Amino acid sequence: MWQYFFRRSSLFLATTLIMMAVLFYATHLFPVDQTYALTGIQQPTNEQFVQIYQDFKLDSNEVRQFIAYVQQRFSGNMGISINSQQPVYDELKAVLPASFELSLFSGTIALFLGVPIGVIAALSKNKLIQGSILGLTLAGYSTPIFWLGLTLSLWFGVNLGWLPISGQINLLYQIESVTGFMLIDTLLSDSVYRLQAFVDAIMHLILPAITLAVLPFTLIVRITHQAMLHVMNQTYIRAAEARGLHTFKIIIRHALPNAMIPVLKSIGIMLGSFASYGIVVEVIFSWPGVGSWLVSGIYQRDYTVIQAGILSVSLLIIFLSILIEFIHTVINPMSKKELYASY
Amino acid sequence: MPPIKIYKQDYIATPAGRVWAAFSKNPFALIGLWGVCFLLLLTILAPFIAPYSVNEQNQQILLLPPSWDPLGHVEYFLGTDDLGRDIFSRILHGVQLTFGMSLIIVSCALFLGFLIGSISGMMRGLKSSILGHLLDALLSIPSLLMAILVVAVIGPGLYNVFWAVGIAMVPQFIRTIHQAVHEELQKEYVTAAKLDGANNLQIFWYVIMPNVWEVLIIQITMAISAAILDIAALGFLNLGAQAPSPEWGAMIAQGLDNLLLAPWTVTIPGVAILFSVLAVNLVGDGLRSAIAPIRN
Repeated sequence: MWQYFFRRSSLFLATTLIMMAVLFYATHLFPVDQTYALTGIQQPTNEQFVQIYQDFKLDSNEVRQFIAYVQQRFSGNMGISINSQQPVYDELKAVLPASFELSLFSGTIALFLGVPIGVIAALSKNKLIQGSILGLTLAGYSTPIFWLGLTLSLWFGVNLGWLPISGQINLLYQIESVTGFMLIDTLLSDSVYRLQAFVDAIMHLILPAITLAVLPFTLIVRITHQAMLHVMNQTYIRAAEARGLHTFKIIIRHALPNAMIPVLKSIGIMLGSFASYGIVVEVIFSWPGVGSWLVSGIYQRDYTVIQAGILSVSLLIIFLSILIEFIHTVINPMSKKELYASY
Repeated sequence: MPPIKIYKQDYIATPAGRVWAAFSKNPFALIGLWGVCFLLLLTILAPFIAPYSVNEQNQQILLLPPSWDPLGHVEYFLGTDDLGRDIFSRILHGVQLTFGMSLIIVSCALFLGFLIGSISGMMRGLKSSILGHLLDALLSIPSLLMAILVVAVIGPGLYNVFWAVGIAMVPQFIRTIHQAVHEELQKEYVTAAKLDGANNLQIFWYVIMPNVWEVLIIQITMAISAAILDIAALGFLNLGAQAPSPEWGAMIAQGLDNLLLAPWTVTIPGVAILFSVLAVNLVGDGLRSAIAPIRN
């Protein structure tokens, strides 16, 4: 198992380096000066110029430059944003938690609704229930997310006026950023209106979270359904039935843990498209997260923001997918067989 | 009445025949297949049957509602947008861009992915791991991020969507083919063929590939639907097809200004995307449930 762990970690390191190499190569390709693309300073003074050359070792060969680039980026020097003239690192720290909040919330919705519905679809003998669940999930899976987001905000935000459709919280509330998670920050703040602010933050969260939850929800339902159908035909389930266990207990204790293994794997595979969808949702609902930050960065050709955004999001995805694959191997006894028995 | 059998001989359907029999029993899958055929037909014929050209503007009738609305006019079947362009014609032209483009992207990605995936699947050890996993982990980067990088380097445009979505799609094919080939390679019948003296190329093409096609076809349908959604999403974010283009996602972005006044400029392209993705997904789903019992 340790060997496997080290293999995965080295894979993570290797992919990180390749990702950095791609970005480093891209800084040469951007249609601006390299110093500008690296630091975001358009007209550096002489001292700054010397400093940039020293930091990024621009007068030595490509390999040295790359090493310097990696060192600078990982020590937190991501340059300044061309648009706002603020350090990119600080901006990144401000927007990442908002994205986490949104994706965690919608991921939780998807998981806690998706798994039971998938189980119901698999166990129900009623063809109508089964068919309608699967049909609805297929339709949800096929819906373009930006269109769904617009339609939801048009209906629930504008026509019915139930929910706010943009931002993270009403601007009336001044909430100090402590953790960056708006739900926690509102509760931590010492304002008299903190409960109202909390409710307001939740109201702002509902529409984007539901829109973003559609994709993982439908996939989780479908995969849970398939996995449960497969598991319920196994002999150990029949053995449990023969022992006279209650159906509920069989599902919870014997079937679900085994059915969750393919679900976990599919969550790892889904991460990339989930992040894509997250970016679109953040743009539609003006959510102040890393997605809308990145998209406004590309509109303004803010090269330092683009680099930092792509780097952070892709590293997160690579890290999480490798982590999920690792957990999958740890909890799945069947994959150990492949680990040790092959070759 | 059971069929009369004179000779005691069972007719055994070919594997493809059995898949088709199972597939055609599922009405939804058939509907999806008809939808896909319809879209394919439109991809070729759209410019000939569209009543107006893409950018023909009629200044007299801006934001005309669809024809079933009392204010609508049947000459403009799905209404017009804020520049007086016929939405129906634009949707028809958009089939080529959104659906046709997705087919081109998927076939290119399939070609590359097939090449790398089958080579890495047939190999063992470190080389296989490098080709299989490294690309796979690196390129699990979402297509949108790839598109943002591409746009930052060479600017927005429909041509760049090809690169962005294509690059993001190749690793999925590599992963699928790599895993399928790798799995088949462990099975006994491959060993049997090896003992018969087949070389690696023969094993790959005549022994393993017939069992991989099915997985590949399912992956292709999934990739097409993902590609349509990606192209449209990029068009919507103004990173792909640009303003006058009738690409469906770009049409939604153009209709966004009039969302409250004329919701059909957003709804209709959205329904078009939904319809085509749903058709492709229905086919893929039908194929999967048709193939699954046969494979097991």
